[in-house]
Amino acid sequence: MSAYQRTVTASWSDVIGALERCYELGWTDGLPVVPPTDYRVREFIEASGRDSSEIVGELPERRREITVGHVAANAVMAGCLPEYMPVALTAAEAMLDPVFNLVGPSSSLGGAGILVIVNGPVATELGINGRNNLFGPGNRANATIGRSIRLILMNACAAVPGLFDRSVIGHPGKYSYCIAEAEGETHWNPLHVERGFAPTDSAVTVFAGEAPRQVRAVGRPEAILYSIADTAATLGTSMSTGGSVGDRSAGVRQGEIVVTIAGESRLWRDWSKADVREYLHQRIKRPAAELKRAGVMDDPVAPEDEETMVNLIGSPDDIMVVFAGGEEANMSSVIPSWGPKVGSTAVTRIVR
Amino acid sequence: MTQANRAEYVLVDPTTEPVVAPFDGAPRLASLAGTRLGIIDDSKRNADVLLEELIEVLRTRYEISEVRWHRKPSASRPADPAEMARLAESCDAVIVGVGD
Repeated sequence: MSAYQRTVTASWSDVIGALERCYELGWTDGLPVVPPTDYRVREFIEASGRDSSEIVGELPERRREITVGHVAANAVMAGCLPEYMPVALTAAEAMLDPVFNLVGPSSSLGGAGILVIVNGPVATELGINGRNNLFGPGNRANATIGRSIRLILMNACAAVPGLFDRSVIGHPGKYSYCIAEAEGETHWNPLHVERGFAPTDSAVTVFAGEAPRQVRAVGRPEAILYSIADTAATLGTSMSTGGSVGDRSAGVRQGEIVVTIAGESRLWRDWSKADVREYLHQRIKRPAAELKRAGVMDDPVAPEDEETMVNLIGSPDDIMVVFAGGEEANMSSVIPSWGPKVGSTAVTRIVR
Repeated sequence: MTQANRAEYVLVDPTTEPVVAPFDGAPRLASLAGTRLGIIDDSKRNADVLLEELIEVLRTRYEISEVRWHRKPSASRPADPAEMARLAESCDAVIVGVGD
């Protein structure tokens, strides 16, 4: 192993002893982990085709350097297969991009999960689920790739709950939060193509998000989007909160959102993703009066405040539309960003 | 299973340690009297209210000669290195903190 990475000699007589030893070492997320034995970790590093000591990224505020070896050890523990390494590495690189500002979402009271969205051929190759039970259990690639990111955060990035991770309530996506887009089943451009990559590229997008809010709206596209906009425009999200941004001109912090739309793509045959974004952007607003009553804006409520609408999202481009979820119904979800866009911006990286 | 069945394994440590480059801090000030004060406002709500109050107290007690104020664009982002360099250049002392 590299100079960066230490090893620990451990002994056990059976599988329970192995799992308990990893608990004692303080390396788990609360669930049992696969012991990161040197030979298994080596297998993962070899599968990545990269050097174990290669630095994947840095977290300067905590003076941490995260290597391929750290990612491999945590991916082993999460229960990944070696072939998942390129995706886990890309997700780690993306969240360590300075634009993502990992120190914010990994320490804040807001309690972000790092949502990993996988696009391109690699999603199919690895069997990453973009359909039924999108955020639910039952698929190894989703469960373990998402979990590897949380273990990297806790072990390699020191985002230990109660220590640097000061989440007040957190959410279940903090255990694992990884989805694919069902891009083979829609006429829509996949997310990574909308963000500047080729359809033949494989790419990973990371997004610091709250928990998904299910939107049980079915029927016409306008009716579905109306409900999605209403869900996204609720009080109590980071977007509809004030403070923590230097530029106060918008009245609220604003932010990015991910919207997943499930069901059958043909319902949306007359709509592009750009149309969806535009429609939503025009409606994800709240009257200034309500923001004042909620204490988000300070001044007393004036009569015109009932009509003055405040945008909770700065631009249609801040809405990431993902076609994903079961085909059984046109159900959707809204994932508000953990914080203002200036505090953490979603990052898309190509899988090498 | 008995103790005799115990086998040894080498585990790869998944954790990191801080890598801290050596540095020399600026010399400490004996007094704030007549000094140029820098402020980093983290942009949290009411940080400006508290800091303005604090400046008034310091002006009264120490006759601060000037104040250079920097508000960060985001509470959770580190301060801009260029602004930090300007503060280091133009101030004798800087007040920074996180408030909520």
